[in-house]
Amino acid sequence: MRYSKNFFIFLLAEALLFSCSKKVLDLRPLGQLDPTAVTNKQGVAALLIGAYSLLDGVGTPNSAYPFESAGSNWVFGSVTGSEAHVGSEPTDQPELASIETFSTTASNEYVLSRWGALYDGAQRCNDVLRTMRKVSGLTDADTIEFRAEALFLRAFYHFEAKKMWNRIPFVDENITYEAGNYKMSNEVDTWPFIEEDLRYAVDHLPESQGEQIGRANHYSAEALLAKVYLFQHKYDAAKILLDEIISSKKYRLKKYSENFNASTKNNEESVFAAQSSVNDGAQGGNGNSGDALNQPNGNSLSQCCGFFQPSQYFVNHFKTVAATGLPDLDNFNQVDVKNDIGLFSSDPFEPYDGTLDPRLDWTVGRRGIPYLDWGIHPGFDWIREQSSGGPYSPKKTSIYASQVGTYSQASSWTIGENAININLIRYADVLLWAAEAEVMSTNGSLAKAQDYVNQLRNRANDSSDWVYKYKDVNNPAAGYSDVKAANYVVKPYPGVWTDHTFAMKAIRYERMLELGMEGHRFFDLVRWGIAENDIKIYLKKEVNISGYLSDAEFKPAQDSYFPIPQSEIDKSDHRLNQNPGY
Amino acid sequence: MYSQEKITGRVSGNDDLPLSGATVFIRGSRNGTVTDSSGSFSINGAKGDQLLISFVAYETREITISSDLFLSVHLQNSINNLNEVIVAGYVSEAVKDITGSVAIVKPKELTAVPAGQVESMLQGRVAGMNVITQATPGARTLISIHGYGNFGDVSPLYIVDGSPADINDLNPDDIQSVVVLKDAGSAAIYGVRGANGVVEVTTKKGRAGGTRINFDNYLGYQIPLKYGYHVLNPWEMAEVTWKAYENSGQTLSHPQYGNGAIPVLPDYILAGSRGGLSADDPAVKENLYNIDPAAGDIYQIVKANKYGTDVFHEIYSPTFSQNYTLNVSGGNDKNHYLFSAGYLDQEGTLKNTYLKRLTIRINTEFNLMNNFRLGENVQLSSRQTPYYSNAFNPGFGSSNSLPNPIMPMNDIKGNPYGSAPGLGFNKNTIGLDNLNLSKSNNWIILGNMYAELDFAKYFTFRTNFGGTLDNQYYYSYQPGFNLYAISSPNSLMEGSGYSRKWSWQNTIVFSKSFHEDHSVKFLIGTEYISSYGRSLWASRVNFFSDDPNYSYLSNGGVDGQNNSSQAYNSAIYSIFSRLDYAYKDKYLLTGTLRRDGSSVFGPENRYSFFPSVSAGWRISKENFASGLSWMTDLKLRGSWGKLGFDGNTPLINQFTLYGGDPASSFYDINGRSNTASLGFRNTNIGNPKTGWQTDIQTNIGLDGTLWNSKLTFSADWYIKKSTGLLFPLSLPYVLGGATAPYVNVGDIENKGIDLLLGSKGRFGKDLRYDFTITYTSYDNTILKLNDGQNYFDNGIWRNQVGHPISSFYGYKIIGFFNSQDDVAKSPVQNKAAPGRFKYLDANGDHKISDTDRVFLGNPNPKFSLGLNIAFTYKNFDFSAFFYGVFGNDVFNGVRQGTDFFSGSQAKSKILLYDSWTPEHKNAKVSINENFANFSNKTVPNSYGIENGSYFRNKSMILGYSLGKNTLQKIRMKQLRIYVQVANLFTITSYTGLDPESISGGDVAFTGVDGGNYPNNQIQWLFGLNIGL
Repeated sequence: MRYSKNFFIFLLAEALLFSCSKKVLDLRPLGQLDPTAVTNKQGVAALLIGAYSLLDGVGTPNSAYPFESAGSNWVFGSVTGSEAHVGSEPTDQPELASIETFSTTASNEYVLSRWGALYDGAQRCNDVLRTMRKVSGLTDADTIEFRAEALFLRAFYHFEAKKMWNRIPFVDENITYEAGNYKMSNEVDTWPFIEEDLRYAVDHLPESQGEQIGRANHYSAEALLAKVYLFQHKYDAAKILLDEIISSKKYRLKKYSENFNASTKNNEESVFAAQSSVNDGAQGGNGNSGDALNQPNGNSLSQCCGFFQPSQYFVNHFKTVAATGLPDLDNFNQVDVKNDIGLFSSDPFEPYDGTLDPRLDWTVGRRGIPYLDWGIHPGFDWIREQSSGGPYSPKKTSIYASQVGTYSQASSWTIGENAININLIRYADVLLWAAEAEVMSTNGSLAKAQDYVNQLRNRANDSSDWVYKYKDVNNPAAGYSDVKAANYVVKPYPGVWTDHTFAMKAIRYERMLELGMEGHRFFDLVRWGIAENDIKIYLKKEVNISGYLSDAEFKPAQDSYFPIPQSEIDKSDHRLNQNPGY
Repeated sequence: MYSQEKITGRVSGNDDLPLSGATVFIRGSRNGTVTDSSGSFSINGAKGDQLLISFVAYETREITISSDLFLSVHLQNSINNLNEVIVAGYVSEAVKDITGSVAIVKPKELTAVPAGQVESMLQGRVAGMNVITQATPGARTLISIHGYGNFGDVSPLYIVDGSPADINDLNPDDIQSVVVLKDAGSAAIYGVRGANGVVEVTTKKGRAGGTRINFDNYLGYQIPLKYGYHVLNPWEMAEVTWKAYENSGQTLSHPQYGNGAIPVLPDYILAGSRGGLSADDPAVKENLYNIDPAAGDIYQIVKANKYGTDVFHEIYSPTFSQNYTLNVSGGNDKNHYLFSAGYLDQEGTLKNTYLKRLTIRINTEFNLMNNFRLGENVQLSSRQTPYYSNAFNPGFGSSNSLPNPIMPMNDIKGNPYGSAPGLGFNKNTIGLDNLNLSKSNNWIILGNMYAELDFAKYFTFRTNFGGTLDNQYYYSYQPGFNLYAISSPNSLMEGSGYSRKWSWQNTIVFSKSFHEDHSVKFLIGTEYISSYGRSLWASRVNFFSDDPNYSYLSNGGVDGQNNSSQAYNSAIYSIFSRLDYAYKDKYLLTGTLRRDGSSVFGPENRYSFFPSVSAGWRISKENFASGLSWMTDLKLRGSWGKLGFDGNTPLINQFTLYGGDPASSFYDINGRSNTASLGFRNTNIGNPKTGWQTDIQTNIGLDGTLWNSKLTFSADWYIKKSTGLLFPLSLPYVLGGATAPYVNVGDIENKGIDLLLGSKGRFGKDLRYDFTITYTSYDNTILKLNDGQNYFDNGIWRNQVGHPISSFYGYKIIGFFNSQDDVAKSPVQNKAAPGRFKYLDANGDHKISDTDRVFLGNPNPKFSLGLNIAFTYKNFDFSAFFYGVFGNDVFNGVRQGTDFFSGSQAKSKILLYDSWTPEHKNAKVSINENFANFSNKTVPNSYGIENGSYFRNKSMILGYSLGKNTLQKIRMKQLRIYVQVANLFTITSYTGLDPESISGGDVAFTGVDGGNYPNNQIQWLFGLNIGL
């Protein structure tokens, strides 16, 4: 009897366990949100913020290090575009050296990371579109706004990819894991899709986003679409848009240096920017960390890394003809701006005393010139390895000493993680596009083109925004004297332009001066079709600074675009086709 | 039926000494007792009943009750283990009846290696088990049974006293036996957890008889390797730098070595921010020195160490270890108990590495009624290590950071410093790391409680509840510094978490013999396993003071606060059954069937059945064998079964999920520079269709005991096909950044042979010997990967269909480009130039591209051997244990750093003296140049791949035990002293520190040596065993 009672209890227990076993195995995941939790207006809004957050190229799991996929294009636009060396030492981040010497392979980690960041960005836009469809009760206004911003961003990410690889897949919201259609080809021309997304954005975005300065608006969409047209040489179409932006008078040129200062960012010159923020809970991740290495080396300023060192060739562009204040378009590279190669910081050195465009000293850190409020750039001591990266430091990505902690991540190992925005489109860029469009379009005006260029040169001539010597070299915080740091002379082009070729040449040159080190140059050279010759001249010059460039050769058929990452080709079952030459 | 009578007796063993605690049973009944301290027993029985008298390590005797009511029973020392009963797979079974492939490790074998953790003690003891150990105290070991069955977690299921637990948390001295279930026949009853094999540990129990007290102790002294990294001295470093600059067309200019045709070594490498200083430079005046930020700018002065700093011996130094276990056990015929307390203090030779573990164990069992037993086995432990950020390589993050030997450890005042001009950004790791204060504590309760009820004559019901509760707490404080080339605010990281895993099993066993010849055992049971864990973590910077008594989170600065918490959960529910049938003890048949449901899979694929069958034929029991006296036992066995594996899969796998955090998805949409608005992203792509990995394993084995253990052997041949491996889908980035789901892709096949050979006996009267060899070999082949993709790369590793797992893959170096002419004649190769590596044009298209990469090596050994030799001579005992691995390749990652120039870190003699020059074309390494490129080191190539075979003397022990007479005089049962040496020698052609290497936690990282903490450091031990 006792046995059977026990047995009965046992059976009961078993039955109980079994009956609820279904339930005990139905566990919910912890710490993340179900799709239903984001299927509402707030969820869609947050997904849209998530889509913006990749504008800086940082924050995607597809990239191991933030600088690999940096939104500033410092590697893919500036280093390859003759403006700078990778810097540091050639053995530090060797994959960068191979990009600099045009020996990039299809397995290059940087190229893959950039691809991964851009397509993650595109899919985040698609998540907005996919999710908002399922939300009931969105107002029409909300629907339109979400959609327009998401499409703007999706076009932006694809355009960035288009510049890099040319042959790319266009990933719209129908591409999902569930649909199984993700093994994509890159044979279809993606320009029409990019244009279509942007046209929707142009038509539906408001002229202003009010306080939410980071959002795309009607004009930033127009500017991006104009850029897209320019890359396709559709100058007439671009001109219409650019004229609209300029005539709206919504934007204007500010002091040049204000564009690279965290405390004066988002000013009227900023058309569209990747917003950088620090001390915001992201531990520096939102602080333009793609450019974190791009600081002078080994000093209290950065502690590190000495990457992104401007080239001698780039610096030479800033020489002006003393008499005219104009650049010497043809002979600028024959005589160097004097540098301090081979000199220790303790050796005496007098900086170049010839006439220079003042924008140089907001763009390049060089020996003997005040480096913001950090002190006189000492040359050697701030350079990781002169013999490979040259004698110069980047400057547009550095904050002021007085801003440390406010505009830099307090807990970071480097103040390279700072709140300086990435200027994706600034008004100066718009003006120079407009100048191009005036020269190249069927109904353009050379006079207008010249005026746009001169607006920039006149702005550069604003002596209130030049670099001045410190009052006290030992105490930079005491401020600046009224003695120019160098012999600045810059003047507008006089008279009236009549020669299209000259005008284009002047505009191209001006873009280098105005937008140098901002990640544009290489893509410009390629779209103008002059990369081969330009880069050849550059390499010939620069090999004297960086011996390893002797290996480098730009082969236009191959190197105009980057290789499509091999792993992506493999994962597409070889439906993606490699770019020629790789 | 005969009437019951009272039978009494006395059981004795060696030298006629009474055996207390021997069990006396009447065969076929539950009527049994144990002997008391004088060896006496009394039991009720009837004439004709058979009495079974058994005692651990003695031959069981069987006596038929006749008219004698007093029995004097003498037991012989058991020479084989055939009658030993082991607990495995929810039942206990005599070794002779086992039909699966099962290995048994004795406690003495385990503790012969002073490793501290049980996992690493298993190395070489089990045929068919691969063990790669880590020397870092407290670090994990990579264990796999019967090859590698998947690309991720290949570690077996660990069961301690019937409940899941981590065997590394156990005190090795508390272990009674370790049983390894290698094939499907034995492991399939563990169903979805069994595919990697099962290691079942039984802890020591008290025995009937008087109180026993045992005390074990050793003290150890470990000595670092004599030779560390083979690097250049400072003079040579200057020379090699100049050569690299020359070869790269660079100006001969260096902040330390000056500007000129001949480099000059400085007297001081740093003063303030200057380097390359001579002794008479005013900048090196001591009165300028300052490291107090309050007193002005930091001004450190660092003298050059022209003799060269021996970094290896600066960070590795001799250390002491100690281990104590005290255990008290005893009981009577009804109840027994064991208390054990252990303390291990294992210091690593690498600075700031240690494992301290305190364990307390209480095992008891109570026979409350004749048919009801209640018991528990529980261990409380406290475990302390430093907080390792990388337990596999706590010394150097990578070999690239070996500092230039001109850098002394500290500055002129003995303080750590960062770097110096031209000597690299990499900080002087060692000096600064010494400042780090960190500790990781675990408090663990593991064990089980059970109750057993015998009922209805043939049934036993057992319920068992057990598992592990693990609480962790850790912190890491790094004082701030502001030094040349490196500065960091002080910082504190502090975290804690707990995890629990418990299981509840209920089983019923039916056990009966029919007509003498048929014996049947049937088990049916249920099991519910539930896991949950939650942890949190926070960090702060900018503490006002570095005083350790001030380093608490609440004292940190306002900026840079960081914290997070996570949790996980999962559950398994199962029903299982097992049938054992034996006919005449000759034909054995076992079948198991389990049905598992696992929460980590979606409802569609949540449940599955795992069957197995195994059979044994005891040839030695056949009539024809009865005359063969040499054949003590011979058994042929075979098994087939299906196992599963649900590891490698998180619960979230089936769900598409969203989330976000400030760094990955928040954005400062308002442009305020210091706020980020909340943003989300798709974090996980779900796949509800994922199911488990299924292994189908066939095993054939032969066990023999010949000439009464003069020769024993156990041979197994197996084939294990793992299908539907759980692997994260390799999705293209066009799907975005969400984590890809694990799906069932890929098949792997492992085939292999396990061999165990033993011989025991004696030479003459006093010399006994015991030899054991284990042999493990497997062939591992990937049969299938993701659809449409036949390989995936992971750095230098490639997993490709038709090749072994984690094979080395890259460009094969076939020589050097010896001249410009040679470059022109050779296939087109990126960065081809005289002196650089020439790669194999594998596809013959006269162009070196991705398609020319080939397989360069295989980190899987051809075979491994464990060899144990033991002798006892009178009161002396000697044992030696050797372990060897043969035919595997190792990628020497250190040489990637030292054999190619990279500006500032330490370089090797090879680079200076044996790199290519026009005059020295028969070189080892490519031309010394300051530029890493495709044709020297930026792509995985065959440079640095070496034969990783080795043969190691893991342990040698010489012991002396006091004789019986002396013991009796001093009233002790045992007193043994021993000296031991571990890792006395390693025979290998490998050029790095230690060929036994792994650079990560699992199979995906095998065979790469990143300058790891070497395993082969000699340790001397002095030990003591006392029994009272």
